[in-house]
Amino acid sequence: MQPTQQVSIPELIQQVPLNYYLIVSTALFVIGIIGVLTRRNAIIIFMSIELMLNAVNLLLIAFSSYRSDSAGQVFVFFIMAVAAAEVAVGLAIIVMIYRNIRSIDVGLLNKLKW
Amino acid sequence: MLPIILLSVFGIVLLFMGFLKSKVLLLPATLVFILAALATTFMDWGKTYLYFQNMLLTNNLAILFTTIVLLSAFMVVALSNSFIEDEQAQPAEYYALLLFSLVGAIMMISFENLIMLFVGVEILSVAMYVLAGSDKHSPRSNEAALKYFLMGAFATGIMLFGIALLYGATGTFVVSGIKSYVYTNAYGVSLLLYMGIILLLIGMLFKVSAAPFHFWTPDVYDGTPGLFTAFMSTVVKTAGFAALFRVLSVSFVGVYSFWWGTLAALTCLTLLIGNVTAVYQTSFKRMMAYSSISHAGYLLIGLTALGTQTKQALVFYSLAYSLATISAFGVLLVVSRQRQDTNGVNENFDAFNGLARQNPLLGFVMAVSMLSLAGIPLTAGFWGKFMIFTTAADKGIYWILVFAVLMSTVGIYYYFRVIIAMYFREGAAEPVKVAPFYRYVLIAATILTLVLGLAPGLLEGLV
Amino acid sequence: MILSLLIFLPLIGALVVALLPDNQHIPFKWLTLGVAMAELLLSVVAYTQFDQQQAGYQLLEQADWITLPLGNLGVVSIDYLLGVDGISLPLVVLSSVILLIGVLSSWTIENRQKAYFSLYLLLSGTIMGCFVALDFFLFFLFFEFMLLPMYFLIGLWGGPRREYASIKFFLYTLLGSVLILLVMIGLYLSVMDPVSTAVMAGLATDAASVDQDLIRLVQAQLADMHISSSQIVHTFDLRYMADGGNYLPNAFLSGAGETTFWGIPARMIAFWAVFLGFAIKLPIVPLHTWLPDAHVEAPTPVSVVLAGVLLKIGGYGFIRIAWGLFPDGGAQYAQTLAGLGVLSIVYGGLNALAQNDLKKMIAYSSVSHMGFVLLGVASLTSEGINGAIYQMVSHGVLSAMLFLIVGVIYDRTHDRRIDSYRGLLQVMPHYAVLTAVAFFGSLGLPGFSGFVGELFTLMGGFQSLWLPGWLPSVAVSGIVLAAAYLLWSLQRMFFGPLWTRDGVESTLTDLNGRERLMLIPLGLLALLLGLLPNVLFNLSNATVAQWLEKFNV
Repeated sequence: MQPTQQVSIPELIQQVPLNYYLIVSTALFVIGIIGVLTRRNAIIIFMSIELMLNAVNLLLIAFSSYRSDSAGQVFVFFIMAVAAAEVAVGLAIIVMIYRNIRSIDVGLLNKLKW
Repeated sequence: MLPIILLSVFGIVLLFMGFLKSKVLLLPATLVFILAALATTFMDWGKTYLYFQNMLLTNNLAILFTTIVLLSAFMVVALSNSFIEDEQAQPAEYYALLLFSLVGAIMMISFENLIMLFVGVEILSVAMYVLAGSDKHSPRSNEAALKYFLMGAFATGIMLFGIALLYGATGTFVVSGIKSYVYTNAYGVSLLLYMGIILLLIGMLFKVSAAPFHFWTPDVYDGTPGLFTAFMSTVVKTAGFAALFRVLSVSFVGVYSFWWGTLAALTCLTLLIGNVTAVYQTSFKRMMAYSSISHAGYLLIGLTALGTQTKQALVFYSLAYSLATISAFGVLLVVSRQRQDTNGVNENFDAFNGLARQNPLLGFVMAVSMLSLAGIPLTAGFWGKFMIFTTAADKGIYWILVFAVLMSTVGIYYYFRVIIAMYFREGAAEPVKVAPFYRYVLIAATILTLVLGLAPGLLEGLV
Repeated sequence: MILSLLIFLPLIGALVVALLPDNQHIPFKWLTLGVAMAELLLSVVAYTQFDQQQAGYQLLEQADWITLPLGNLGVVSIDYLLGVDGISLPLVVLSSVILLIGVLSSWTIENRQKAYFSLYLLLSGTIMGCFVALDFFLFFLFFEFMLLPMYFLIGLWGGPRREYASIKFFLYTLLGSVLILLVMIGLYLSVMDPVSTAVMAGLATDAASVDQDLIRLVQAQLADMHISSSQIVHTFDLRYMADGGNYLPNAFLSGAGETTFWGIPARMIAFWAVFLGFAIKLPIVPLHTWLPDAHVEAPTPVSVVLAGVLLKIGGYGFIRIAWGLFPDGGAQYAQTLAGLGVLSIVYGGLNALAQNDLKKMIAYSSVSHMGFVLLGVASLTSEGINGAIYQMVSHGVLSAMLFLIVGVIYDRTHDRRIDSYRGLLQVMPHYAVLTAVAFFGSLGLPGFSGFVGELFTLMGGFQSLWLPGWLPSVAVSGIVLAAAYLLWSLQRMFFGPLWTRDGVESTLTDLNGRERLMLIPLGLLALLLGLLPNVLFNLSNATVAQWLEKFNV
């Protein structure tokens, strides 16, 4: 805590090079993709997708601060709002399935062949 | 941009109408609402306007795509009279969701800012996730909803990452801003831009079910209740291609040499997978799913050979495809419901056996629709294919043309299986009952298909 | 006017039949017969109005039909353009005769008469359209749309394996027609309409004032690239496509052949694509396999129309489009093409020899006889081309007769195997005589039409500068083979003591009036054409002479 040296948030963000943000968010994004492709539990797949979205949010904020352009941060709010709506619908679908087959393992969903 | 506002308000009105005891009013009200939206769409005809702080842009092309989308929605809703009979159904909610999804589709068609593209895609998709699972007690419908949801959200994630990278490269979300960035930095475009284009394209290709991102399509189409499959394969696809056309033709046209090769390869893959796999299906609905993949391939040809007449070809093809698909699903709906087998509704080819003998009209409607999808002359589908092929010929991409033409002959085989079943096989003796209004919609779609086949110049000068 | 009537009379008839209520009391067959007779009358009128001395297209009719703006490509304008010359008129007359006979042969169709006759009339209209259309696109529309009624006619009224046969027919022919479609688009992009271009470029005030000299001027300016691309009006007009001067100098299919694929000029590839498209229809070995299946499954009248008329569209397409628009391709590959023709002749003949099913044997004999058409066309001599046209007409008459003959025996016993019968002469003398006439005509006995057609195509082959002498010599063996399989069948079926495999001698009655009405005129026609070949040669000679000028380079 150094009250004398008040640093604004964009400056704080810019203390880390842009490439680092890029690498971190890409890593998060790839982890998300791998999660979607390999996990079988619908909730965990869903969480992986959220991870991908958050990787996007991080990247947008980093770009936004570096470019001193607010549009990126506005977009982040849109993503968060829409993701919330998606969660509502998604969880409802998962619950509906759980009621019918007492499981949320995507491997059990084989009424339709892939 | 009145239709967006109108449709949102109408959707809420419909939800409230769901409290009424009588469900009779819902269907006519929805039809009137869609017509009202259609009428207001044309208020902007001939002009180019930016709306909502430069978020949306309307021009004639956007209006034409909107018209196709609304027309398809109108016909799908008009074919939905079975909801009234079904005790389990929640028609008010379905209709409201359909209207909301139309809002999303119109946003996808006329976005000027990538934020609007994202919001439009999500509005459309979230509504469709619910509709895909609307048959709550059917495991097939459940599974379709979950798969559609997971794959849709996954695709959105990829698309968003692409948008973020584009933003990093260009510093803007505005479509025309990206275009000017590409033009001013023609020789030193950042690597981020290329990555962004690829990821954005992947996300969009997921939505329009192009190979190799198509694998969710057959399952989702198969499991979703037939009516919503018709909606999905027409409205969602048209809106998706309108969106793809806008980003590619405005933002990325400056780096055409970068993406056209990839897109050409994906086009061929889509055509190959769609057509060849469709041959092996026993279920008509799954066949239609693969057929929709193959039609995505034909539409992609227009984008691959991006040129001055691409938009005309896309509009005509989408219209022809939507008309034929909706009449095909319309016939499937009545037939599958009234000719049930042990597993409930019968959506296999054999459900159509002998249909032409018992119901000459349904047989004819289905035959014309199949001929149009197959691209036989004197139907709208032929001219759609013809225009798409001439775009490729104009651009000099002959190999893709040859490939597409070969694939379209493969298409004949599976479309004709329906005709064989209807005309050459013996089937159930009692005719299928069709409500009068339902019949009028089917006849209208068929006549439109034939009229466009005889006089394709009707749309001349609109685009 | 008369050509439009030829097309639209049956089409309107089809619509009327389709819209009439499905009622047992409505005489659909009489209606169809009336239309078919009117068609014959119309084609005879067209024949009398045709000036045989003139080489060009006559009885022209033109109207705008479809205009579609296609951005850079200018405007697609598809004209309703009809006309006949000495190549198409014989086939028009032939078609109207065969289609009339086909109606008579359809008299026994009992189930779903309304649908049958409606489709039959639709088929008639599209066939006529194919022969008289001079706009490539219009031709293509008729060519492809013709498949649909044919598909249903085989698929609905055919034999046990009709589904397989009809879809096979459809897919084969469709594959051919998409090849043609591709070339059509390429040609469209490469060819200008000199008249409209002259008007657009300001060289003429209106289309009426454009004469031959001005067209030369426009073509010269085009070759020197003095006409800007926005002023060039593209066209599907076959008359303009056949004139090398109308090709854009740097276009895809221009005569200079600058565009190549894997070292082969685009024009040659286009030629082969069109050739294959029509070769499937003709058919040429090895693309013939749909034909025996389709014939075996098709009902008798459909077989008659298929063999009598539809196959001729393949030969017509060769002369009018494949060779007509790509003379360089026809000249360069003359040997290979003639070789394919000879292969068809011999392979078809050998296969026919091996068949026990009478209908299949005749189907293979069709393959063999149509091989002569290809040989004649590929020879690029006046005799060869005239002979090819003659052979098409002659085969149209004779193969119709042969399929009717099969129909006669099949109607009585439902058995087409050659070895199921012996000594038919004793119970069916008239049938035996007419069969002998058809067989002898078909195997090329002098005095019948088959002889003239084969003789002239072979003469063309021997005289041709493009072909080595051994090719037509091998083709002669086709005539020997034809004699072998036809005479052998005749001997097995008609001579000796009366015997049938299933003991169905009692059902074998001689020809009835309707069957005589079909067979005797055809027999007489074959004889007439054989004795007075000039009736046909006078028609085609002038046109063929002009057509051959393209090859005198």
